[in-house]
Amino acid sequence: MALLALVFLASGSRDAAAQGVLEFGRLEISAGAVWLGSRTFGSASATETTPSGGSFSLFNTSSEVGGAAAFDARVGVRVAGTLVVEADATFARPELRVTIANDVENAPSITAVERLQQYMIGGGATWYLPRPSRIVPFVTGGGGYLRQLHDRGLLVETGTYFQVGGGVLYLLSSHPGNRLKATGIRADVRAVILNGGVSFDGDRHTAPAAAASFFVRF
Amino acid sequence: MMRRWFGRAIAIATVLAIQAQPAFAYLEFGVTAGGNQVKLKWPQAAVRYLVTNAGVANVSVADFQAAIGRAFGSWEAVPTASITYQFGGLTAAIPGRDDGLTTLGFQNRPDLDRVLAATSFVVDAATGALVESDIFFNSAFPWSVAPGGEANRFDLESIALHEIGHLSGLGHSALGETELRAGGGRLVTAAEAVMFPIAYAVGSIAGRTLKADDIAGISDLYPTGDATSVYGSLSGRVTKDGAPIFGAHVIAFDPVTQTVIGSFTLNAQGQFSIGAIPPGPRILRVEPLDDAEIDSFFDGSRTVDINFRVAFSDRIVIVPRGGDSGEVAINVVAK
Repeated sequence: MALLALVFLASGSRDAAAQGVLEFGRLEISAGAVWLGSRTFGSASATETTPSGGSFSLFNTSSEVGGAAAFDARVGVRVAGTLVVEADATFARPELRVTIANDVENAPSITAVERLQQYMIGGGATWYLPRPSRIVPFVTGGGGYLRQLHDRGLLVETGTYFQVGGGVLYLLSSHPGNRLKATGIRADVRAVILNGGVSFDGDRHTAPAAAASFFVRF
Repeated sequence: MMRRWFGRAIAIATVLAIQAQPAFAYLEFGVTAGGNQVKLKWPQAAVRYLVTNAGVANVSVADFQAAIGRAFGSWEAVPTASITYQFGGLTAAIPGRDDGLTTLGFQNRPDLDRVLAATSFVVDAATGALVESDIFFNSAFPWSVAPGGEANRFDLESIALHEIGHLSGLGHSALGETELRAGGGRLVTAAEAVMFPIAYAVGSIAGRTLKADDIAGISDLYPTGDATSVYGSLSGRVTKDGAPIFGAHVIAFDPVTQTVIGSFTLNAQGQFSIGAIPPGPRILRVEPLDDAEIDSFFDGSRTVDINFRVAFSDRIVIVPRGGDSGEVAINVVAK
């Protein structure tokens, strides 16, 4: 809804704004780093059945995929005004952690760990606020394919993701009339919603993400 | 041919069992045939059984046949196992006779005051294949076939489910907790396998449902065509202060389905293996075998080490589709 409102407000001054965003260019390529926040899967219990049909707990677990730094690459094509359609790929190696506690025979608590390989490949759109400034706010959204590999590919789990967020772009240089139109830095925060993949509880999970990247425009 | 017995106990461990030695996996029987260790199993897909035409107090022949049929049906309904069972009719044959007939029936054995039921096998000594298997239910005990169970009576369907597991080739599982009773013996406080050697107390019908451990066992013995490509296995080794230990009980917990499946270290290298389990992450826990009599699981020639503390693997173990996890090493420490 907020995105629609921004589009509406901007539509009356699109031409001027396109000029104001400093040699916008047609193609944008960026690469950088993302911090993907953790997501928790709640707790579970290893149980046995009592004679009356109830549960007897052997131990409890709580699980999460920990936060992790990721490499992010993106290619965007300006399709209209300040609207850019993008394809992006992210690679991370987050830890899957299961903390075990409350063992019936008082075994010490322990956190069992496994490092995942996580690929997110997808696309989306970014809309830059049309304003004549080196610092340009934007909103972004998209989604794609999630692929998570356990234990060096011994088991693959797949799913989808959606993300929405916003940030600012800072133009470091602009070269009107040149093939290389501009360079800059882009920073944003996003909410990443993951469906499927590694998810012990089967639920959809949302994780925060913060990204910074260097971009060039042609 | 050779006949062997395996039973289900009440309160204390079985006294009737002459056990086959576990072979390759957690809860299967193994026999030596032709100089090799082989899994004890039926060579044919459909096992034909007969039911004796004698009931007991509170259980008519029809009730008995129906309860037995439901128990066979539970095993047959495991989607990843291919074994089936065919009711061959009523018979006057007595369980335990070498007559080539697989017979289930009551026998009055007040001398076996700790044995609710027992399963015997006739095995082809050359191939290790099952030829015949009989089950007797001890009519010295009070039985019930009531849908909700009956106070002070043992649930026939639950006990039949356990014995049919033996009849199919499964040994005992150690997924259960017991407490010692003042007068001797053990009382089951919880179990997560129909194949736990000690029965629930009278009145309970909790043993009518197969658990993940039972399903993995029967699926490992008689896998369906696609089970071997869809399911996987995990394996590993347990050591104490660097030395391998025999008879350690290994539990694999699936944090997704919240189910547990058990196994043992079964050789001098301290190795264990759990087959026919769904792919995914597992948490491994190792504990001493101290919730039932050791001779419910292993014959007396093996020394089982129970002098160590419960421990968990510090890595999440991954069961792949159609493959094995690769060896997981777990070290435990003495108590």
